[in-house]
Amino acid sequence: MATIDLNINGVKMSFDVDPQMPLLWVIRDYAGLTGTKYGCGIAQCGACTVHIDGAAVRSCSMTAQAASTKKIVTIEGLSKNGEHPLQLAWQEEDVPQCGYCQSGQIMQAAAFLSQHPNPSDDEITKAMTGNLCRCGTYQRIHKAVKAAAQAKK
Amino acid sequence: MNRRHFIRTSVLAGGGLMLTIPSIAMNEHPHDVAIAETNGALSDLLKIAPDGQVRYQFIKHEMGQGVSTAMAMIIAEELCADWQKVKIDFPDTDLKKFQNDKYGGYDTGGSCTIIYQWDTLRKAGATARQMLIAAAAKQWNTTPENCYAKDHFVVNRLSSQRIDFGALATLAAQMTVSSEVLLKDPKDFQLIGKPKSAKLIPSMVTGSLQYGLDIKVPGMLYAVIARCPVFKGKLKSFDAKAALKIKGVKKVFTTQPIAGLQTETPYMPHDIREGVVVVADSFWAAKKGRDALVLVWDDGINAQYNSEDFKTLAAQRARHRTDPTGFVGDANAMADVRHVRTTLHASYVFPHQLHSCMEPLNCTAHASDNGCELWLGSQAPNLVVTELQRVFRFSEERIKVHCFPSGGGFGRRYYPDMAVEAAFISREAGNVPVKMIWTREDDQQHNLGHLFQHMEYQAALDKDNTLFAWYEKEICTYTWGAKYADAQLPGMAYHIPNIRYDFEDMTGEELVHSSAWRGVVGHGRFYSECFIDEIAASVKKDPYAFRLGLLEGDRDVLPNDANRFPGAKVRRVLTLAAEKSQWGKKMAPGSGQGMAVCPYGTSCCAVIAEVLVRDNKLTVTKIVIGVDCGKVVNPSGASNQITGGIVWGLTALFYGGLPIVKGRAVHTNFHQNKLLRMQECPDMEVYFVDSDDEKPQGIGEISSPLAIPAVLNAIYAATGKRIRTVPLDLSLFTS
Repeated sequence: MATIDLNINGVKMSFDVDPQMPLLWVIRDYAGLTGTKYGCGIAQCGACTVHIDGAAVRSCSMTAQAASTKKIVTIEGLSKNGEHPLQLAWQEEDVPQCGYCQSGQIMQAAAFLSQHPNPSDDEITKAMTGNLCRCGTYQRIHKAVKAAAQAKK
Repeated sequence: MNRRHFIRTSVLAGGGLMLTIPSIAMNEHPHDVAIAETNGALSDLLKIAPDGQVRYQFIKHEMGQGVSTAMAMIIAEELCADWQKVKIDFPDTDLKKFQNDKYGGYDTGGSCTIIYQWDTLRKAGATARQMLIAAAAKQWNTTPENCYAKDHFVVNRLSSQRIDFGALATLAAQMTVSSEVLLKDPKDFQLIGKPKSAKLIPSMVTGSLQYGLDIKVPGMLYAVIARCPVFKGKLKSFDAKAALKIKGVKKVFTTQPIAGLQTETPYMPHDIREGVVVVADSFWAAKKGRDALVLVWDDGINAQYNSEDFKTLAAQRARHRTDPTGFVGDANAMADVRHVRTTLHASYVFPHQLHSCMEPLNCTAHASDNGCELWLGSQAPNLVVTELQRVFRFSEERIKVHCFPSGGGFGRRYYPDMAVEAAFISREAGNVPVKMIWTREDDQQHNLGHLFQHMEYQAALDKDNTLFAWYEKEICTYTWGAKYADAQLPGMAYHIPNIRYDFEDMTGEELVHSSAWRGVVGHGRFYSECFIDEIAASVKKDPYAFRLGLLEGDRDVLPNDANRFPGAKVRRVLTLAAEKSQWGKKMAPGSGQGMAVCPYGTSCCAVIAEVLVRDNKLTVTKIVIGVDCGKVVNPSGASNQITGGIVWGLTALFYGGLPIVKGRAVHTNFHQNKLLRMQECPDMEVYFVDSDDEKPQGIGEISSPLAIPAVLNAIYAATGKRIRTVPLDLSLFTS
């Protein structure tokens, strides 16, 4: 066990955990932020996506230790009241069905749009294809990412 | 027997109105025969608070099918509520209050909810509206006829005064429930028929919606189970020394006392595998502890078999006749040499599938003497309660289930096994709260799966090449009931004079425990749409023209256990899809169109797929879907169900199956058991028929089973290759 210091959504926290514990489980079970989801544990589904220093990262495949000097943002910290253009587009386009994968989808899209504010259809697909959705909401995810990119302009 | 239930209202503590539809058992002496009646016992259904908030108490399961939003729209419509002020609550179970009958209750599946609740919810909303109006009329000293409700207000026609629902709610609760319910004229609908975003989205996109997996209760521990890797295998021995040394691990014990405890009803399998539990103070420690267990299994007989062996066995069974389960015309028509000139024959296989719910299976339980408190997402929390009573002899009053929307149900969350596991663990750990989690590896390797289906088809043509007889034998591993509800009526709308359906159950030999899936047991059965195409090809007819010919005469059909479904509707939805996809248009070399149409329950769907085979690669380029689901309550949600179902079917087509070697599932996670990804998702267009149906029908399961035959038929059109199994062997497309 070790004391791991984390900076999550601008708040400094410390936890006494196994340093090898994936960041995902520290976020969920110790920081109590359950918006970041467990889907597979091996970076195949993207449900656990957070931002580490602005980049999209699968938190299931990074130890808490490795994230300790970095700026972590989870879905809860993406906006103050759900007003991020992606969150608004998700509502407008009625994207989620069960909703479980959608935090990861939005975090992936947010990081992508911050780097590529004017993406083509193909670029959106390439960026999002690492995120699985069992309910099959892909068509609307794509539409909403595109709409959010427009809105941000 | 038609059970009548009486709508009641009462004043909420703190003011406001509670509308209740109690069960008939609680209502033995209705004090007033002139009370609004309805079919479903939905108990505490609707709260209207003094601040105007309308809270719909939703006891069905929201698993992404959008049912909570659609049902809320129905109530809000008749209530004349402001949609923004309608909220959805998910109350805890109470089997005395919320009785499980056909029209009400908890269990959610089979795309039935909207069918059974449409009427009741309209009456409930209208009743509340009428009471609000009565309350306003009383306050204004006028008559209800001089008032109307609109957008969360009651308005006085004469004076144009208005009072909002919140201000009226407490008084309304004390008014007499009118025996005459004044339902809206559908042409006045403001909400129903308009696309609405799902109510839960704001909490979904901010990460604040809690799923079962997100629960945390004080003092909670975590548990994972090492389950026997072979179905029906046993635990021989285990050594927990190394596991107990791991920091955080608290307890290790076997689940043998709850294993193999299937209920009597054959269609409710939830056979729990023998295994060993590790309880720890974190999920990670529990998992590490499990990895450190030394486990010795007695694999049992299934370890001798691979999934290929089972497939061969099923094919052997396909070759002989059993007694027909259902037939129309002559059960032995295939052998009638007076009429039969040519016969065709084909075997199709739909193998076991995983549900792969995105939220892994889980349950948090806190057992006590004689009772248990649980937190989970379940399609049938009523079964959770009854199973816990049966297995642990808990009393019903001491079992409390907190219900959550889930990250996907798809039939898997209908079964209460995870609740039995969690309750057992909590009790064995000393009556402490424990969250039991299935890892994705557990989900893929030690789980229930969609049943295995071998479909054996024969067709007979007479001397005029008319389809004279159809024979179909289904060999499968899970009996929710054979295909034909009535032996004298057909399950297909095609006018074939002689239809025979044989059925054989191989559940006893299954290598994986079979269960209901999205579409329940429908997927293998829809291969009939591939065989129809084979017949069309053999008589050199276009698949669309051939189907239209068979649909002439508009024969009624009896799909599943539903009411008669008019053949005319099948023809209408097929024609719609054909038009919208420009069926018959010139296709580029290597591409082709394929169709599939079938009723499912009381709805019907036609799917037309376009594929392209180029550069050794198969791409599904476009899917057009025609839908007849009666009255469309929420076009946005309904469309989501259709396109989501297509993606579901395509996943099974490209990546499905559950390969087993020596009794063990081969795939361990999503890198092997793949799901369709965005880059493989075709363009999809959904069209609803212009239905004059007054009632809505089910929508969640009708498109998925048709995606597969539509694409297989398109592949034939594009390449001349006839494929009769999934998943696709993509090497077939490399030249």
